[in-house]
Amino acid sequence: MTTLWDTTGTAVVKAMSNERRESGAVSSGLALTLVVVVDEKRVTEAEVAATRAAAQHPCRLLVVVRRRPDAPEPRLDAEVSVGGRLGPGEAAVMRMYGRLALHAESVVLPLLAPDAPVVTWWYGQPPVLLAHDPLAIFADRRVTDCHLAEDVDVALKQRAKDYVPGDTDLAWTGTTDWRALCASTFDAVSEAPTKVVVVGQAGSPVRALFAGWLSSRLGLTVKVTDGDGDPIHEVAFTTSAGEIRLVRGDGRTVLLHRPGQPERTMPLPERDLGELLAEELQRLDADEPYSEALSKATRTTLSGVDPRVHVWVDPAEGQESNLVQGGAHAKVGAQPDPNAPDPTQDPKQARKQEAEAGGKPPAAAKGSRGRSSDRT
Amino acid sequence: MTVHNPLRDPRDRRLPRVPPPCALVVFGVTGDLARKKLIPAVYDLANRGLLPPGFVLLGFARRDWGDGDFESVAKAAAKQGARTGFREETWSRLAEAIRFLPGSFDDDKAFDKLATTLVDLDKSHGTQGNAAFYLSIPPAAFPTVLAQMKRTGMADNHKSGAWRRVVVEKPFGEDLASAKDLNHMVDDVFTGQDVFRIDHYLGKETVQNLLALRFANELFEPIWNRQHIDSVQITMAEDVGIGTRAGFYEETGAARDVLQNHLLQLLALTAMEEPASFDAESLRIEKRKVLSAVMPPSNMANGVVRGQYEQGWLAGERVKGYRAEDGVAPASTTETYAAVRLEVESRRWAGVPFYLRTGKRLPRRVTEIAVLFRKAPVLPFTRTDTEELGSNQLVVRVQPDEGMTLRFGSKVPGTQMEVRDVAMDFLYGEAFTESSPEAYERLLLDVLLGDASLFPQNAEVEESWRVIDPIEAYWRERDAAGGTPQLYRAGEWGPRAADEMLARDGRKWRRP
Repeated sequence: MTTLWDTTGTAVVKAMSNERRESGAVSSGLALTLVVVVDEKRVTEAEVAATRAAAQHPCRLLVVVRRRPDAPEPRLDAEVSVGGRLGPGEAAVMRMYGRLALHAESVVLPLLAPDAPVVTWWYGQPPVLLAHDPLAIFADRRVTDCHLAEDVDVALKQRAKDYVPGDTDLAWTGTTDWRALCASTFDAVSEAPTKVVVVGQAGSPVRALFAGWLSSRLGLTVKVTDGDGDPIHEVAFTTSAGEIRLVRGDGRTVLLHRPGQPERTMPLPERDLGELLAEELQRLDADEPYSEALSKATRTTLSGVDPRVHVWVDPAEGQESNLVQGGAHAKVGAQPDPNAPDPTQDPKQARKQEAEAGGKPPAAAKGSRGRSSDRT
Repeated sequence: MTVHNPLRDPRDRRLPRVPPPCALVVFGVTGDLARKKLIPAVYDLANRGLLPPGFVLLGFARRDWGDGDFESVAKAAAKQGARTGFREETWSRLAEAIRFLPGSFDDDKAFDKLATTLVDLDKSHGTQGNAAFYLSIPPAAFPTVLAQMKRTGMADNHKSGAWRRVVVEKPFGEDLASAKDLNHMVDDVFTGQDVFRIDHYLGKETVQNLLALRFANELFEPIWNRQHIDSVQITMAEDVGIGTRAGFYEETGAARDVLQNHLLQLLALTAMEEPASFDAESLRIEKRKVLSAVMPPSNMANGVVRGQYEQGWLAGERVKGYRAEDGVAPASTTETYAAVRLEVESRRWAGVPFYLRTGKRLPRRVTEIAVLFRKAPVLPFTRTDTEELGSNQLVVRVQPDEGMTLRFGSKVPGTQMEVRDVAMDFLYGEAFTESSPEAYERLLLDVLLGDASLFPQNAEVEESWRVIDPIEAYWRERDAAGGTPQLYRAGEWGPRAADEMLARDGRKWRRP
């Protein structure tokens, strides 16, 4: 393991190849690069989960911790290891201070495994528009986590408005076990459900997406009611043959009630964050069932623009409220408003130069396909 | 019964394949295999949520047991053998679905009871009458059990109004004639497509990966032929002796135990043409085609070697010779090592020898397929530059350390032009991904799903015996003339005669 204080991206790249040579890992079977965007307070959790996922999907792990964007001096600290505490692969944990935090891609880009797919995972409040974070732009798959949003409903709606194929959310991963139970129950039922009720924790994104999925598959309006405790507590299907109910039992079990059949107990596999993340890394293509569930759950037409182009947002500009409430993207996907301030027309010259220096120059972005179709 | 399930979506790859409701009936459930492999595999499937709501595990054996006795034995077995962590919740859920029926195989009443139980299980557990019968019993008991199934009609898809499948373990007979008898017997009771012959090697991740390697890449298939491949070596080595299986092994020997099934199946997957698709039928067609093109050696004296281990040292311990093992005849001529040179008579493979070897008490446990390429036709270096250069090799390691190795020439760093072989190791299977499922788990799931792609078909079994029978006949001839297997010390890579066999062709065995 190498620890670098107040260092540069170039030194991190060098340290990584040195580590590889020293650990004797002369060849490796990399499937992808996993970029983790996380706050200091959740770093340990994220590392544990990413390490677990890396054990199933060999990857290069890059953890980006953005600290104190208001710090006067930009600074980079990094820890590089191969086959160490962060799993069998190559890993770097990078803490970025000051304005560098807004240009994380300048450190991350040279560290990506050549030509391997990139997955970016935000373990924290998801960005309002993924395009606000340059680490989303080059990622083939983008994993958010609506559990961690301040307002789950707003966050889900935002994901729907922003959706581009390749986006996914860990709340959706959390529905897999229940979806599998429902699907295997209906393998042996020939009557289609006419009414569906889902009971679960109020405000849970898992419940919302699960109900959205049922609605998209069955073409019904799914009734959602509040229960306490589990994200999904019960689902009841009314069919012409009677009611089929799956109810969360003691421990990690689900009780299955079917008309004319004895009650059955089904196990609900116990999965930690690492296993959920590993499921996300299993397949990197667009997840259509997720997009349909998301659209139904939020009653929103998916309108994100593919491919994404970086949209410059500067927290120091006092646009903090934008980040949460979505003032900036109220414009995106809406009618073009000639009076609205163009985010690329940054009033402060210094900031503008900075934006040009890092990532996409605003002028180029403005004329590109992505930007122009933003407004249609 | 196929029901349109609105919740199933082919694009939704997150949802696992879960079999329809069914009962798994295990005959000989008190045996070693059932305890060590089968029950843990059932538990692991349950723990991963891959068993349907209406699943029942029904044990059948000659024991004076109730459901509870069997359940506690099964629980101990699952605790010991499970790959995924043992969870009380999973078990208590599975325990509700465990039943035991005592009875011997010639007991009509017990089988009548079994037939009615299968009907009752539909009412009590909702199995819909589906059942898979796992015959974990000695081959001698097959005729009795199959006759019972026929008599009660429990094997009949029509009569039961559901699917009924049978799972058979190796050995699939002891020669072509007995294999044919066995196949007739099983096919007489079950329909051909409902018979699943388990070769657990085919359930291994790497073996399936071999198909991906060959048919999903542009890189390998164009050179996968006689123009570029010099020879193929398939090895299955075990460091253990025969243990307590002397009775079985004396009758069988290495060729029947391993060569006939595992090694010839691996050969088939290595040498077969591209299947039209990856469904069971297309795979079987190609495997059968290539197996029917495998020819036993025309000159047996030059093409086969049998060996037997003597006392020696292995992994730091002194071990007994084969003839000194308990239950082995002092003058036994049973082979514990077999090596054979086969050819595949097809345009792709003509002239490329396939060397297959297997043995017990070899230095380490390893199974691999090594494809050795020809040397480059011209080497634009001086001879001294390339003295250390061998031939390119692509090695598929089946176990342990599932993965692949590619060997190629590379310049030795320095001011001189010197080329030598380096090995590039690729570990992707077991070692990297901790949760690669056990072969039995995968195969059991496939049986319940009715997916036969990974199971050898009766025609393949018969083709394999066609290759092995002349070899066995030659050895019996040699026995009659007072011949014995070549001796090798335990802890060596087989008898010297095996090295000589390759030396005659100007080749040598790869040390795995």
